[in-house]
Amino acid sequence: MQSANVLLRKIVRSSVLPFAAQHGMKKDLFPLSRTLSLSPCLKQDNSCSPSEKLDLDAWKKVMKSGLQEVSETVSEHKELSTLAAAREILEMWRLAGRSVPENISEEQLKTFVECPSKSAKKKYLKYLHLKELYKKNDKRKMEEKRERRLETEEQAAKTDETKRNSFICLWASCMDRAYNWRVAQSMIFGQPLVFDMSYEKEMSVREVANTVRQLVLSEGCNRRSVDPFHIHFCNFKDDSLYHKEFIKHYREAWGKLLITVTDQCYTDVFPKDKLIYLTADSPKVMKTFDHDKIYIVGSMVDRSIKTGVSLARAKRLGLETAALPLEKYLLWNTGAKNLTLDQMMHILLTLKDTGDWKKALEFVPKRKYCGFVSKPVNELKKTLNLINTLKLGKRQEEVRRQFAKNYSKKRTQK
Amino acid sequence: VQPPEKPLQAEEWNRLRESFRSPEIFEEVMFNSMVKCNSPIDVAKSLLTHVAKSNGDIAYNLLLKYLALCVQQGQTSEIQDMYDIMKTRFRILESGAYNLFIRGLSNSDQWRMALTLLEEVKKIMTPSRTNYESCIKAASRHQEMNLAFELYHEMLAKDLVPTLDVLQAFFDYSRSMKGADLQKELFGILLYLRENQIYPHKTFMRSIKLWFESIPGENWRGHLTNIKDSGQCPVCNTQLEDSDLTEEEYNNLRERIIRDVIHGTDTFRKTSPQEFEAFQTFVENRLPFDIVIDGLNVSHIKPRKMQCENLFDAVSYLAKENARLLVLGRKHMLINSSNWKREIMKEMQNKADFFFAENISEDDAFLLYATLRSGKHCKFVTRDFLRDHKACLSDSVTRHLFRKWQRGHQIVFSPSFVSIFIQQPAFRYDCVVQTTGDTWHIPYKDIFEEKYSFQVPRKWLCIQQKL
Repeated sequence: MQSANVLLRKIVRSSVLPFAAQHGMKKDLFPLSRTLSLSPCLKQDNSCSPSEKLDLDAWKKVMKSGLQEVSETVSEHKELSTLAAAREILEMWRLAGRSVPENISEEQLKTFVECPSKSAKKKYLKYLHLKELYKKNDKRKMEEKRERRLETEEQAAKTDETKRNSFICLWASCMDRAYNWRVAQSMIFGQPLVFDMSYEKEMSVREVANTVRQLVLSEGCNRRSVDPFHIHFCNFKDDSLYHKEFIKHYREAWGKLLITVTDQCYTDVFPKDKLIYLTADSPKVMKTFDHDKIYIVGSMVDRSIKTGVSLARAKRLGLETAALPLEKYLLWNTGAKNLTLDQMMHILLTLKDTGDWKKALEFVPKRKYCGFVSKPVNELKKTLNLINTLKLGKRQEEVRRQFAKNYSKKRTQK
Repeated sequence: VQPPEKPLQAEEWNRLRESFRSPEIFEEVMFNSMVKCNSPIDVAKSLLTHVAKSNGDIAYNLLLKYLALCVQQGQTSEIQDMYDIMKTRFRILESGAYNLFIRGLSNSDQWRMALTLLEEVKKIMTPSRTNYESCIKAASRHQEMNLAFELYHEMLAKDLVPTLDVLQAFFDYSRSMKGADLQKELFGILLYLRENQIYPHKTFMRSIKLWFESIPGENWRGHLTNIKDSGQCPVCNTQLEDSDLTEEEYNNLRERIIRDVIHGTDTFRKTSPQEFEAFQTFVENRLPFDIVIDGLNVSHIKPRKMQCENLFDAVSYLAKENARLLVLGRKHMLINSSNWKREIMKEMQNKADFFFAENISEDDAFLLYATLRSGKHCKFVTRDFLRDHKACLSDSVTRHLFRKWQRGHQIVFSPSFVSIFIQQPAFRYDCVVQTTGDTWHIPYKDIFEEKYSFQVPRKWLCIQQKL
């Protein structure tokens, strides 16, 4: 045993160990073949030796040594402006491994500094960080795609194949022209659809940005549909946040869009009795799509679920309201019943074309419902009532038991 | 990964690293698990040495994790070393590092350095409440109560909410110390608890009791007790403060409810101006009521029974004492249906006044208004906790007022299997820290007791001075 220990120590010290391990020697010497689980027999001398073989504070020397140049620059920096200081802190947070964007613009930095609370700052940084990640990934994918395309083109050039086709390849612009023709027609003969743009005060800047994004998507899918709506943006103020965001998205195309934009209220533009305000809070449920009515959709994204805002607006103007019959056709699972604007657009377009609720409600996100209601509604209601009474009955039982327990407790206390 | 038990050589670290699934993050993962397993710092040091030698530098996040390990084990000299290194290495440090340094140093005999670090943090951002907590605890541990209170007031001035731990530390470390100023400060903390309706937990309560009993020459005695329903303390026979609001508070609350809850951002969200006006004139004409009943809420008490029967039971139960009742409902209750029989509704309308709101209006807001308008004696009946209405109030002072008023004026019915209701009466006394000069009454909660904002503790600490 003694001699074996001496031998081992020599091996350890002369760092032959990796070599020995590679050659299977370790397996013979130490039955538990993990790097240093040889310790059981080495414990006593290993515990006193590490200082001689391992300088544990060597890293400190390394850290302190390479730093002279850096520490000189430190003294130069004295007073930093708040923005520069924020930038430095962000840099340190990034080094610490928090989710912080790598590059941040002056404007973003300003919004960051102006965030009212620590958690707001954190959220904003995370949002920027994720945005940056997505952007980077997209860029990478684009580059890969381009490389692939170049490769195929090269190959095509090698084989030298010419395509013959009776049409000139002008798909995109042709389609655009056709779509525009249709939308222009709908502006004369089509059914109006109103977006109520009076919710700017109710929303944060990001919510407004989201709203405009959704509106852009809905305009797009309206344009491509067979029989488009005549879209009205009512209560639209120039130089509002909405306006700024739209210009960000459309640039110069904003002026050429085939929609009606007005600062008037829909009640001034259309007869009141024809208007129906669509809101999830409405007590009335839409039964069929009426081609003679004018539907109004509130252009609002409410992440903080402000109930009854759009219902209040309709009440004030004395308009009829309606909600989509989501409960009637879908077994609702989770999530709020308010849908995004582009989903509303898809649903309304499908209803207009087909009148088929099932087809239209395909556009409700799948995660929100379990499936379509297959049986007649009243039958389902019966079973639902049965389930509810069973549930309630059970709860009553529970309450009773609880009460009995408390009651006996009280008596024993007395 | 399982961190090794002994410091390893560079080659051994290399081997471990190569056997790891994703070698890029090996060090990070290894340090994380070291912190988790509380490994000896020698092991961490050996890994740092390995990293330093192979890269010539150590990343900030690794240093941070090593620092966390040192703090966890209270390695003061190591923490100081780290501070020197990081200070020369980086131009500024971020909040995570400062948190660790302050926490680590405040627990050591170098605690004064934590204070200088706190000053440094203030230059770049607002320190967190845990930063203050560490420093305050360190100062009071070393009997520097003045310093501790200075920090405490600074913290309050920055709108940071102190943890109960900090408040408890004040009581723990001032035990058997003399000084009028100190006593005043600690009474100040008790008043802070009162104003913010904070209830100490059991161990905190014990610290308060021990501190009182330790004041030399003042002869305080504390007892644990339950207060009678009448609001009298069984130990010292003091009558506790009643739950009535002052005239000013009452008016203030009423105005705020009308402004924030009923009107809010848009009157149309909960009712409509015409309807609210109609309701106001209705109430003015029939004032004052003794009890206001949320008809729909009460009608659901027993789910097996017809809804109007439930309401009928409640109304006739309350009408016995010749009280003036107001029942709030919605218009759909007037339509003859399986749940709402016209005859029963008619009969009820002889016993009480009824107001029917639109089906899409919120009747709770009317309930609050009618009760507040009727005066201080008026109570209301609902099982609703009214949390959403409390949330509509814009500042915490009014919210506390609302809770206090609610405790004193809400009657809750719960169903029982015998046909009568069990009535949970409104509180007669106010459940808050209170004093008469020579007595203190402090409500406290058992630590593991669940507590919602509408519940109040039933246990009390009674402290009286025997002269």
